[in-house]
Amino acid sequence: MNLFTRLTFLAVFAAVTGALASLAAIGFISLVGYLNNLLLISSRSRLMFGDGILLSVVTVAVPALGGLFVGLLWTQVKEQRPLGPADAILSAQTMSGKLPVKSTLLASIGSVVSLGCGASVGQYGPLVLMGSAIGSLLGSHKTGAKNMGVVGIGCGAAAAIATAFNAPIAGLVFAHEVILRHYSIRAFAPVTVAATVGYVMANFVFHQQPLFHINPVALQHPLEYLGFVVIGVTGALIAIAFMNAVLFSAKTATKLPIPAYCRPMLAGAILGLVALWQPEILGIGSELLRFSTIEGAFVSYELTILITLKILLTALCIGFGFAGGVFSPALLIGAMFGAFFGGVLDLFLDASRSAISLYAVCGMVAVTSPVIGAPLTTILIVFELTRNYDLALACMVSVVFANLVGYRLFGRSLFDVQLAARGTDLSMGRDKAILDHISLTQYVSQTYSRLNAKDTVQAVMNELVASDRTEAYIVGENGEYIGTITSIDIIKLTHLGSLQNLPASDVARHEALVMDTNTSIWQAMHQLEGFSGESIPVIDRANYKLAGVVYEAALVKAYLDAEQSVREEEHATS
Amino acid sequence: MRRASQTTYALLAYLVLIPPADATTLTIVSWGGAYEASQNEAYFKPFTSKTGTSIKTLTYNGGIDQLRKQVESNNVEWDLIDLVVADNIEACESGLLQAIDHTLLPPSPDGIPASEDFLPDTLTPCGVGQVVSATVLAFNDAAFPGTKPSSIRDLFNTQQFPGKRGLQKKPIAVLEWALLSYGVPIKDIYALLSTERGLRLAFAKLDQIKPHIIWWENGDEPAQLLADKKVVMSSGYNGRFFSTAINQQLPIEIIWQGQLLNYSTWGIPVGAPNPLKAKEFIHFATDTQRLADQASHIAYGPVRRSSARQVRKHLASGTDIRPHLPTYEPHLKYAIKKDHQWYARTQSRINNRFTQWLAEP
Repeated sequence: MNLFTRLTFLAVFAAVTGALASLAAIGFISLVGYLNNLLLISSRSRLMFGDGILLSVVTVAVPALGGLFVGLLWTQVKEQRPLGPADAILSAQTMSGKLPVKSTLLASIGSVVSLGCGASVGQYGPLVLMGSAIGSLLGSHKTGAKNMGVVGIGCGAAAAIATAFNAPIAGLVFAHEVILRHYSIRAFAPVTVAATVGYVMANFVFHQQPLFHINPVALQHPLEYLGFVVIGVTGALIAIAFMNAVLFSAKTATKLPIPAYCRPMLAGAILGLVALWQPEILGIGSELLRFSTIEGAFVSYELTILITLKILLTALCIGFGFAGGVFSPALLIGAMFGAFFGGVLDLFLDASRSAISLYAVCGMVAVTSPVIGAPLTTILIVFELTRNYDLALACMVSVVFANLVGYRLFGRSLFDVQLAARGTDLSMGRDKAILDHISLTQYVSQTYSRLNAKDTVQAVMNELVASDRTEAYIVGENGEYIGTITSIDIIKLTHLGSLQNLPASDVARHEALVMDTNTSIWQAMHQLEGFSGESIPVIDRANYKLAGVVYEAALVKAYLDAEQSVREEEHATS
Repeated sequence: MRRASQTTYALLAYLVLIPPADATTLTIVSWGGAYEASQNEAYFKPFTSKTGTSIKTLTYNGGIDQLRKQVESNNVEWDLIDLVVADNIEACESGLLQAIDHTLLPPSPDGIPASEDFLPDTLTPCGVGQVVSATVLAFNDAAFPGTKPSSIRDLFNTQQFPGKRGLQKKPIAVLEWALLSYGVPIKDIYALLSTERGLRLAFAKLDQIKPHIIWWENGDEPAQLLADKKVVMSSGYNGRFFSTAINQQLPIEIIWQGQLLNYSTWGIPVGAPNPLKAKEFIHFATDTQRLADQASHIAYGPVRRSSARQVRKHLASGTDIRPHLPTYEPHLKYAIKKDHQWYARTQSRINNRFTQWLAEP
């Protein structure tokens, strides 16, 4: 492709991905809203329905039945669990650029039902997953351009965030900070186009209002910045408690003596019962989020109860298999914490502090940023929603300290910890992630000297001389690896006398370094340290048969190839 | 289809143009004052002169309690009621009003069917919309020589804007305004009012001004309270404020921010003495010309798009009436669209809460 065609192609690809991801997001939000009204989850529908036994029955039954539905849904999903943003991150980090279409579709349906039935989960995670999947699907078509799947994932995620928050810059940064995790012109340009298209769709085509609106506020006193530092540090601790609760709940769920498909139903029923006492805990909690920004909306102890309940119930819902994100629950927990902090401050301060909404927003970003691992995105969301410097600055202070503490005590984000639990460690950057996902198999060579256990040492010597090699691999009757004989071994034997008629199995030594077909290039490179031979035996882990050998040079080449493709992508040379 | 309905309209017009000797009297219940006067000019007089049917008017202050009593005692004296839409929906769902076939309503002069000509939601199963009115906050300009009140927030700011406030003795508008003054975005107001916490906040805000409130019940009172300098600001219907300001040359200023849009509808009670005549009246009174005529007598916006295009001047004063209508584009930006469905289902419970609050010391 020449430059012009390539640019046009990229722009059109990004615009289409952005538009579709945005449409999906708007459709998703509308559908959840419709279900919330129909199923008596929203406060308006509940009040209009009136009080009474029937409302109580519905309050418990709807989340429980919704739970049963999603529980049964996961039995149809290969992964046996709802997919989420972590899967999009993994796909982008390993440069596979693929997301399973069926699993993503079912996860999205499950998310609509979960949120529609009032589960205490978030909506941004599903929106990002849907956007990413659309981009990945469009990018997977053979076009001649490299890694379009990964670019597509970034585009879709950016458009989803831009649509949901009416914040295109935050969408652009989110795609880079959370999903792609590097800056390259190749991705930057299309992601920007997609984010802008998402914003235009939401604002000018559908006149969609931002999911959360914050009124501008003014800072009253410079000393309050100290308070924002405290909010940052404390917010991070709350975020860590929240994330650990989610992980713990998921672990506990697997130990329960009930079938996996019943777990969400149990969580739903518990949620419903708690909602009879505290109805505001149902669903996304947009009313609570709004109340957090209003002076005097809560009596002091109410916030402690609501924060605790929200953490526990969200952990319960997500851990037990409802589909949904952690972004919106984190926003809500944080906003309530900020409001609580503002209230506590009043006990110690005589001087008037800034509006409670400033504290709520700082708390919101302080808890959210460590959870999703996106300091820049959260600051930008606030800035784009308010266009207010005082607020953005205050948030910046809280976010920086929150991320510092969160990173030290927990990890980069909940997504990273979830991925690590599934076997992908992203803490060393994406070079490692990529090398970890390239299997050794394609570098295994069949060009080597292979002899049977019953062959004599003489035969081994003859083979080595004829093939010009220094190592021979001895296998048993069923092809299982027994050991290696090197030319040095043969020289030593010859020196000792006439031992050429011994069977090779008596002489062969089992190598200290043996790799198997599941070894990744990253693991292989690390095992190679201190190795001084020519090649390494590779065995099939299933039956212990010798699958071939891998040469040191091939491993180095594999490493260099992977590095090269990463650099090419970052520097736009392909 | 369009031709067919034009023919029907022509036929209807023909029948209407020949006044038959008619001894029936339609009993219409409306809201009195400048509003009813505008209806008299635009609907009642022309209807009588065309059909010979005389019209007797009664006045009420809204609600459906009286209607319920009449229907339940099988003693309905009213042929037509002018109801706010939430009352119309509630009365309809309670079986107090007759269903109305909207396909029989006349199209616009250029043939657009009524279903497309009426603004969205202004045709309900038992109702036909008339005018868009607004509950607004107005103040006596002379009472504030310095800074003038400019937003709903100022209703609750008795320090900067001291003086009595006139408010309707009903929860409508005051609850919305209380939340609005906390900075709640308009789109979230009814969701928040649906929670115990939201109601608590709204009443807490009202507590702050409770000693400064003079309650009014009849739509004509607020303008008079301002005129008599009994209050410095008051809630009220925009059309009445406009009429009083013009007629009595008073410096009444309207704050359009937070205007609560509402509209009135015609409804026919179940068991009304003259239901056919009542329907004939509705068809006549809600056509393009009649609705446009009403806006030349009072500052309420017609619910038909074709009528809105014809509106120009206030007949009595000669002023351009358009900037004084609630539907004027710049005013719509900060308007609260009254959630009629919400009110229809909740008003009795919300009213009880309000009455309880009134009784609190």
